[in-house]
Amino acid sequence: MEEARVAAARAGSARADGAGPGREAIAVVNGFPVATDRLYHPATHMWVAISGGIARIGLDALGIETSGALAQLSVPAPGAEVTAGRPFGQLEAAKFVGPLVSPVSGTLVAVNEAVLADPGLAERDPYGAGWLAEVALAEPDGARPGLLAGREEITRWFAAAVDDYRARGVLAE
Amino acid sequence: MAEHPPGILRVIDFGRVPPLRSQTLWHAVATGVSQGAPPTLSFARPDAPYVCLGYHRALDEVDGEYCRAHGLPVYRRMVGGGPVYLDDGQLFFQITLPAAAVSPARAKALRALLGPAVEAFRAAGVDARLDENAEICAGEAKVCGHGAGQIDGAVVLCGNLIERFDHGRATDVLGLRDAEHRAQTLALMRRYVAATPADPAAFARALAGAYARALCLAAVPGELTSAEAAAVGELDGLFTSEEWLRGPGRPAGGPAAGAGGPAPWPARQVKVRAGVWTFAAGGEGGARVVASVVRGVIERAWLSAPGLNGGAERARRAVTGIPLREAPAALARFGAPGRHLAAAFAAADGSRL
Repeated sequence: MEEARVAAARAGSARADGAGPGREAIAVVNGFPVATDRLYHPATHMWVAISGGIARIGLDALGIETSGALAQLSVPAPGAEVTAGRPFGQLEAAKFVGPLVSPVSGTLVAVNEAVLADPGLAERDPYGAGWLAEVALAEPDGARPGLLAGREEITRWFAAAVDDYRARGVLAE
Repeated sequence: MAEHPPGILRVIDFGRVPPLRSQTLWHAVATGVSQGAPPTLSFARPDAPYVCLGYHRALDEVDGEYCRAHGLPVYRRMVGGGPVYLDDGQLFFQITLPAAAVSPARAKALRALLGPAVEAFRAAGVDARLDENAEICAGEAKVCGHGAGQIDGAVVLCGNLIERFDHGRATDVLGLRDAEHRAQTLALMRRYVAATPADPAAFARALAGAYARALCLAAVPGELTSAEAAAVGELDGLFTSEEWLRGPGRPAGGPAAGAGGPAPWPARQVKVRAGVWTFAAGGEGGARVVASVVRGVIERAWLSAPGLNGGAERARRAVTGIPLREAPAALARFGAPGRHLAAAFAAADGSRL
């Protein structure tokens, strides 16, 4: 299972269209892949990749693992305002609907229609083709409080999160 | 806003209520629990029949024309699952907890929240169990429909005690335009969805006791807070708005129930219970397929394709009783019509229903 997760993330990262992280950016932490070339909101397991004032956002591999097989995803149409720390969409797995919480504030400029049509894409390639939405940042040059950055900080947090989930029985051993 | 002492499970019996309130009352409880009201077990029985859609489901999964003709209101809930028919033969319950009290692993949370319900069914004399798909079953039939979700800072699990069930009407509201698809769905529904005529009062008492024990809380009769009562009015407005009914991510002008109806052969899949579903699909060249899938195996099929020239029965036999994933290969020897049918089978996927 772990090998499949990692292989899938690495395969996604090697895509020619450049939509995913570089292969070297994928770290494997306690059996889960995590892309280290972006920012993370630790409580919600949302990632943020910022380029030119546009933030692409998605759900990390651990967030997807705890959600279960995704049946549905919904996000508002481009033009909607989103606020950091507030729900901007919903996901459904096992007849359980839960919020997708935005890690940034701004205006939605794109949604990934491919992942809405096939939520399994977020499971197969969470850091690449499984992105959810793009946001024009309200403060492109502003600080990003609450978001983790840098390979060391990200892998340290991710390892602790996996350990915590395993200790609480949230993840299988 | 914590107006209540800690350590209690508030139990609210809303009794018989109009269809709209049988939804908005417990959604209001969720807003209250997310703001500090105690964990709550609530009950409601609709005093008239209606139809309710899961949060993400398309409105055209419900036959709006049929619902209007039969006076059935249609509402969209904030929790998951498919379109369902509700009436006064069903007692609905909702357990609502602060989100922080629930495992972040949704499948695990769901099983934990359903456990006390199984205990209550058994206490009420129903030989129920939680199966591997997190369905409450007696034998092979589902005896409790459920859906769950996080509403603000509260997690809600909804379920029901089905005292009587109108399988025919539950199928009719789904808007299955094809008679064969309707017949196959109804047959599976009769087999896999069962009423359990237990004493509802005994069930409700057992459920309160089971959740109180599981949560280490004391069950105490309660009522809505003033804030929750105010929220009911707001939710009434939301739930009766066209925009809410249309669903998330669906702009005005999109498909609406009964608005012209679906195309004659749209791909359509209906989940009856976990692992049990039907589908109807059209392929190239006028190929048509209707099939019942039980635990991955095609149990019943109806096929039609121009050019089969009397081979439809042989093609039907070739796919009946085999795993769904093997159907395209089984149809390969039927030439171009077989390939068209195979494409229709290949498009069917019940894994995410």
